[in-house]
Amino acid sequence: MQTIFKVLLAVLISFSLHSCEDKIDVNLNDADPRVVIEADLTNLSRNQEIKISRTVAFDENRAFEPVDQAEVIVRSSTGRVYTFESIGNGKYRHANMMVNAMQEYTLLVRLDGKEYTATSRAPRFVEIDSMGITKETILNDDYYFINLSFDDPGGEDNYYKYSISTNGEPFKFNTVFSDKFNDGLHVKHQLGGRNIEFENGDSINLRRYSLAKDVYTYWSEYQSTNPGSASPANPKSNISNGALGYFGVSTVKEYKITIQDEDGLSQ
Amino acid sequence: MLIKFLKLPLLWLLLMPVSSLLGQEKVTLSGYVKDANSGETLIAAVIRVNNETISTSTNNYGFYSLTLPPGSYQLEVSYIGYQAKVFPVDLKGNRQLNFELNDNATSIEEVLVSAKRPNESVSSPQMGSLKFSMEEVRNVPVIFGERDVLKTIQLMPGIASGGEGSSNFYVRGGAGDQNLILLDEATVYNASHLLGFFSTFNSDAIKDVNLYKGGIPAQYGGRISSVMDISMLDGNDKKFSGEGGIGLIASRLKLEGPIVKDKSSFMLSGRRTYADMFLKLSSDETVKKSVLYFYDLNAKMNYKFDDKNTLYLSGYFGKDELGYGDLFGFDWGNATGTLRWNHIFNSQLFSNTTLIYSDFSYNVRVDNDDSDFKINSKIRNWNFKQDFSYYSSNNNTLKFGLNLLRQEIVPASLNAASGSAVNSINIEKRQGLEAAAYISHEWKPTSNFSMIYGLRVHDFMVMGPGTFYTFDADGEPSGETSYGNSIIKHHFNLEPRLSMAYIMNPKHSIKASYNRIAQNLHQLTNTTSSLPTDQYVLSSMNIKPQIADQVALGYFRNLANNAYELSVETYYKFMDNQIDFRNGADLQANKYLEGELLFGIGRSYGVELMMRKNKGKLNGWVSYTLGRSERQFDEINEGSWFAARQDRTHDISLVGMYQLSKNWNLGATFVFNTGNAITFPSGKYQIDGTTMFYYTERNGYRMPNYHRLDLSATYEPKRENKKFNSSWSFGVYNAYNRKNAYIIDFRENEQQPEVTEAYKIALFGMIPSVTWNFKF
Repeated sequence: MQTIFKVLLAVLISFSLHSCEDKIDVNLNDADPRVVIEADLTNLSRNQEIKISRTVAFDENRAFEPVDQAEVIVRSSTGRVYTFESIGNGKYRHANMMVNAMQEYTLLVRLDGKEYTATSRAPRFVEIDSMGITKETILNDDYYFINLSFDDPGGEDNYYKYSISTNGEPFKFNTVFSDKFNDGLHVKHQLGGRNIEFENGDSINLRRYSLAKDVYTYWSEYQSTNPGSASPANPKSNISNGALGYFGVSTVKEYKITIQDEDGLSQ
Repeated sequence: MLIKFLKLPLLWLLLMPVSSLLGQEKVTLSGYVKDANSGETLIAAVIRVNNETISTSTNNYGFYSLTLPPGSYQLEVSYIGYQAKVFPVDLKGNRQLNFELNDNATSIEEVLVSAKRPNESVSSPQMGSLKFSMEEVRNVPVIFGERDVLKTIQLMPGIASGGEGSSNFYVRGGAGDQNLILLDEATVYNASHLLGFFSTFNSDAIKDVNLYKGGIPAQYGGRISSVMDISMLDGNDKKFSGEGGIGLIASRLKLEGPIVKDKSSFMLSGRRTYADMFLKLSSDETVKKSVLYFYDLNAKMNYKFDDKNTLYLSGYFGKDELGYGDLFGFDWGNATGTLRWNHIFNSQLFSNTTLIYSDFSYNVRVDNDDSDFKINSKIRNWNFKQDFSYYSSNNNTLKFGLNLLRQEIVPASLNAASGSAVNSINIEKRQGLEAAAYISHEWKPTSNFSMIYGLRVHDFMVMGPGTFYTFDADGEPSGETSYGNSIIKHHFNLEPRLSMAYIMNPKHSIKASYNRIAQNLHQLTNTTSSLPTDQYVLSSMNIKPQIADQVALGYFRNLANNAYELSVETYYKFMDNQIDFRNGADLQANKYLEGELLFGIGRSYGVELMMRKNKGKLNGWVSYTLGRSERQFDEINEGSWFAARQDRTHDISLVGMYQLSKNWNLGATFVFNTGNAITFPSGKYQIDGTTMFYYTERNGYRMPNYHRLDLSATYEPKRENKKFNSSWSFGVYNAYNRKNAYIIDFRENEQQPEVTEAYKIALFGMIPSVTWNFKF
């Protein structure tokens, strides 16, 4: 029904033929900086990275303030301890950590005498059975969509996230899905239109995540915040002590695809 | 319990005539006040005896009753927008007499200037009520030239607009779902079309609008902030006539006339938009097959069996249709039906028995290659009302009655076609039964003091069958119980009501009022625009009734022989059991929905000023509201008070109507208000390459101030044909093209993603309109 709202909003905007958009100045307060932790561990490789930063004032010409003096540790439920090393610009790295599905991991960050903790478990990866490109003409404009088909495992809650890198740019969050309305069915996820528009000839790298519920909730809250929301709020974090961000351990696969009028698919 | 309560006033009723017998012998004059041309009954018309002190007014059905010693009287009958008339009456015994008045439009010009206006605003004990004639609605300029009672009411003090072009409104800091909107006594759940730009009330079909924002009389209940009581026209019982118009957005046609002369008449009124006609011009096949329109249909008929019995049947049907090719369809609308029997037991006792049905539903159809499904949702009620008006003496009027309301909510359920890529989801329906009884006494103990006091008692019963859940402090389900077809819980409420006036002299009065009201139907809205898909919930084990206590104090003054009306009202409203949501609440097809809700309190207070000029070539009003509306939830803003979204410090409306010549009427409105309270980010950070906004305080910011000027001009050519006349209405919405912010949002700068910028979207610039209206 999120889609319905989007359609309505589109109608509303297009209905007012006179509607116009202007850049404006809004005088926003400077809030006290808050700790932000982005810990997105995956089974893509043994190289894992965690980012720690602080919020910055809205009008600053940088997106975040890196924090390099934190102590970052991840423990697995099997008792292994991984200590992450700072590599600058707020990044902490561990070069040899293997993420296993169905195993629980605990994050511990110590910073300025405060401890931030979180626990996450990676679900099993849900394999796709096919992937392709479709083109749709809406109001005389061509739109490309990437479609991924798969059998959703029945009787359990499944959550999916996609990150996309276009023509070698860094990966960026694209969208999340849950199986609330299609548990156990043959499901098609369609990417494009929302958040991203593909152009003919684009070379796309796509990461498909199977992820835990609280990480899905985080992104779903982010995704459903739009200018029509009555009371936007910070997405709910699964990290303790008031840190923003999230700790997620996911199973991921990466796909390559080139946007062409004929289907072109490689993995 | 209810029976016991009812017996009390009935007993009183039996005793009352005895007391009047002890005094001087008296006789009663009763009947209806009607429009001379159409036979329409007039609501709240004033009948004054010889001098200013003895008077009465017609009730919601146009009925009056006056008890006087036998003798000869001069009765002055007056009504807003009508020429006042004096009727000499010889009264020897009980007598039934109907009075007829001519409206200003059909009477000669000079009368308009000299017509005497009643000073009801000063002398009536009722406060916090707004009433205006449809004539005023006709002359106020509106967007797209679609005149609209809900837009006009937003220009009154204490009533705030729901947003640019919106027909939603907020009364004295209350929420949009706290307004009871009645059309011929039927609840209208969703009073707007096309996402709020038009109201469902086609002004052609409306006789009278009355809005109570405080001191709400005991016969009304169910919403805590206001009651808007709209009556449909009954239909001309003297001659067949029609009225209509062709505008930019919609066309309208109304037909009315007698079925059996002086016994039965009908009224049929329809309106349809044609924005989708333009879609047909598109070269895109899918767009060609798309639809976008709404329609309204009002129908009413009545039958007078005799002088004492009249039956009315009225209905409203409206629908919005939105479809994109064969792929997507969305429709929503209201339907209401009212069957009413007015019976006059005797010249002092009037009865109204009503059976009402009302519903609102929406349907979504998605027809994709691999996901075919439908979503349906419905809310409806069946309502039985019995109301009595007992005119014991001129100083005592008693209103009492019973009300039984069955409420049903069928939450959105999803029906998937077989083989579809979605599963069907069924959410249990919810039912409630509300039994209410009320009594209200209008009492004038002395010539300068009058009051209306009353009590409404009601019991809201949460009904099975169904599975009900309990939740822990975090909103996670902690238990469930299944119930059969039984009463699961009672929410019992006593609601005292009081409104009184001290008349210092016929030109000044001071009034005070208090009311308590409970509300058992709650609308869950988490977007700034109200959507047809917003969910409703009933009070339950987890959700307690919303309760408002409101006190108000006012000073009323009329100047220059009632040509000017001045009023100052101040109010304080406390609201209990207000509803908000947890962050990221999932409101869709969620059986644990109640766990997503937060409960808190609210308060609003303010001062309202109104100055109105009713006579002369230039008339109109100035209204100003200084107000505050706040909420407090333990889980939001660390438990401190925050401004409600509709909190506006200043709200000003200026409305002017000027009669330039016999043919030309001009109108102008100017509005100014402080921007809504809104949540903006106070910082930013980055996650997964995406800039995220850091929010610290709910509604801690303000939208920019809103202001706008609208103009209108109506040209009525000289009448050449007695049977047919027409007029042209020209309008300009937002005349100086102010770019009022509809949405303010934030984004990354395209060139430098690390730099963040704010932008606004303005919805409507200057919009001209033209409408051709006709009457025959």
